[in-house]
Amino acid sequence: MSSSEVAPQVIRTSGAATTLRRPTVRALWLTGLAGVAVVTWFSFLAAASGQLPHPAVGVLVVGWITVPYLVSGLIAWWRRPASRLGPLMLAAGFVTPLALLPFANQQIWLSVGELFEVLPAAIYLHIFLAYPSGRLAGRYERITVLSCYAATLVLTVVKVMLGLSPTNIFAVTVSPVAALRVEQVQFGLICALLLCGAVQLYTRRRILGRPKRRLPALLVDSFGLALVSLAALSIGGIRPWPGIGVVQAITSLAMGLAPVVFLFGLLDMRLARTDVGGLLVELDRDPTLDLQGPLARALHDPSLELAYWLPDQDIWTDQDGHPIELPGPDQRRSIRLIYRNQEPVAALFFDPTLGDEEELLNAVSAAAGIALENGRLRAELRAKLQELQSSRVRALEAGWRERQRLERNLHDGAQQRLVGISIELGSLENRAMADPQLKQRLTRTREEVSASLEELRSIARGIYPAVLSGHGLAVAVESLATSAAVPVRLEVGITERLPEAVEVAAYYIASEALANIGKHAHANTATVRVNRDGDLLVVEVSDDGIGGASITGGSGLRGLRDRAEVLGGRVLITNPAGGGTTIRAEIPCG
Amino acid sequence: MRIAIAEDSIFVREGLTRILRDADLDVIAAFDNADALMREVRHSSPDLVIVDIRLPPTHADEGLRAAIHIREHHPQVAVLVLSQYVELALAMQLLADSAEGVGYLLKDRIGNVNEFISAVHRVADGGSAIDPKIVSALMQRRRSENPLVFLTPREREVMELMATGTSNQGIADQLMITTRAVEKYVSSIFDKLGIPSSRTDSRRVMAVLLYLRS
Repeated sequence: MSSSEVAPQVIRTSGAATTLRRPTVRALWLTGLAGVAVVTWFSFLAAASGQLPHPAVGVLVVGWITVPYLVSGLIAWWRRPASRLGPLMLAAGFVTPLALLPFANQQIWLSVGELFEVLPAAIYLHIFLAYPSGRLAGRYERITVLSCYAATLVLTVVKVMLGLSPTNIFAVTVSPVAALRVEQVQFGLICALLLCGAVQLYTRRRILGRPKRRLPALLVDSFGLALVSLAALSIGGIRPWPGIGVVQAITSLAMGLAPVVFLFGLLDMRLARTDVGGLLVELDRDPTLDLQGPLARALHDPSLELAYWLPDQDIWTDQDGHPIELPGPDQRRSIRLIYRNQEPVAALFFDPTLGDEEELLNAVSAAAGIALENGRLRAELRAKLQELQSSRVRALEAGWRERQRLERNLHDGAQQRLVGISIELGSLENRAMADPQLKQRLTRTREEVSASLEELRSIARGIYPAVLSGHGLAVAVESLATSAAVPVRLEVGITERLPEAVEVAAYYIASEALANIGKHAHANTATVRVNRDGDLLVVEVSDDGIGGASITGGSGLRGLRDRAEVLGGRVLITNPAGGGTTIRAEIPCG
Repeated sequence: MRIAIAEDSIFVREGLTRILRDADLDVIAAFDNADALMREVRHSSPDLVIVDIRLPPTHADEGLRAAIHIREHHPQVAVLVLSQYVELALAMQLLADSAEGVGYLLKDRIGNVNEFISAVHRVADGGSAIDPKIVSALMQRRRSENPLVFLTPREREVMELMATGTSNQGIADQLMITTRAVEKYVSSIFDKLGIPSSRTDSRRVMAVLLYLRS
């Protein structure tokens, strides 16, 4: 077998189904250099103009935010081309330095800068709500982000055209009062939308739960913080207040931290990759291991689930062979199919944040290759065992149905006809008063019919105890006790009817145990107890005989165990030192 | 005597009707299900109903339930239950707390026409008819401390007949002894077993059955 056959092929099936191509190294370099050029050039323009109050601080703050976005964006674009998050973060890296331009001396730069001054707020909101896939999942999230783009771009164009700063080349008229009003509306709107975004992050966390994996959880929390402080800053744009400097500092810190935390997320993947080694060691130590736990540990996702495809039965099962449905590709679970030789072998369901870590999933799936095959065989075996168990139950039940049908046929057919004949003979007897010899022969014939009826009755009863289906366990057990070979004490604590299979099993267990006592135990008395213990029906048959009964000894007792086990119950046999035997059967009847 | 029958087997139903009519009893209706019998009871209040324990639709306990219902709600109607199997527990359910005007017989007893007709009369007159099979199973039931061993063979015979609902006269006829002798045996049995003696036949059936069952 070649190694390419051993390694399962991994095919992405949901989430970002369109696999975007990984960027070339040249594209990465060019983008990176362009980003550095932009931030350097804009910083130079702003610092050289003398308009910036504290040039060093201003440049430093913009750099603090821009550089992490550029770097994280490049890494994300390279490592996870499927996610739009990389390009989005790069966009943030390019747009953030635009905030420096309004301080430039050159009219053209200043004018452009004023147009894009507040755009970064919308991009940040976009990134935060789009993490981790880079896509906006919900309708409300899309509306919020689109509105924010509109507020930052359209309203800016309006206020600039109204002549917010008269020197702007795009100013059409000069009405500073109207422009100021537009700006106030704009800032109020942005503030509201940012808070709206923070609320959406919070509710998403409430509904979906914190992401199962630790680092993404930290990330989401820092996003919430950054959005709230950005919102506070927007209010500051309308009416500055004393503490605004502090909020500005916090916001800048948070804005720079967000991509840093995201970088940590990437490191988490590298950390996890070392666990692929751990997975291999675990699999090596015990090749029969059930894989779900080790895979969850290797991928740092406790919520990970594993499913196997059983082509023979045409179903998916969990590792214990229980049939399951694959979850639909929704927001909460990502799914990946693992193929071997063009046939699906297994599927993984995991936290969507893991969906970006393509390489890690590939590595883990490859490492688990042979073990997954083994796991599937085990799941198949377990599924077959379960099927066997339920077909055993079905066969038993079909047997009972058939016996019941036979008994019914005997009862309604032969037995009733014989009764009819017996009545006819009886009535003839009365008319044969004149001929004593004939009368005697009729009587004898009738007695023969009666004897046949008696035999038929005992055969029918052996086939199926009609009294059980008609009148329940308590009545049937009393009838058993009446005809037992030894005196029987009865303690029946149930009056209600139980599922038919349970009643039949309990009846036969009591019946066979009593028969066994009659044959082997040399007992003087026996006791039959039938009681409910929670969801169990407990049938206990004890005697004061010589003891020594065992499951392995007589086939009768093995039959008892079969009857109980087929219904998921069990039979315990105890032979205490003082003599006697207790057979205790526990049958689930919930 | 007006009799209504519920019996789903046509052989048994027709045979039963014929022997009852031969004995000059008035079979006013014969049905194959319990519901029709119940309607007839409400409608015409017969003196006696004869009902099969297993009746359609489920052939489980429809007949017995109808019998118990009639005993509870129409005490003036005597009830004779027929069955392929005799079950002590079912007989006791039917008796509840009185053996008055009630019978529980195996179906092939009907073939012994004279005995069956006399059982019908006994039940209709407020007495009882318990199948000898039940009583003998109870008598033969092995007990760890069995007071029945103190009875003489004759006393045991008398006790078995007594438990089926047979009157002193009936016992005397069957054992070919005097009713006086029967009375003596009966009071001796009650003394030995410590059962309080009862005046009517059906009460004494109840007392003996309860005693034997315990």
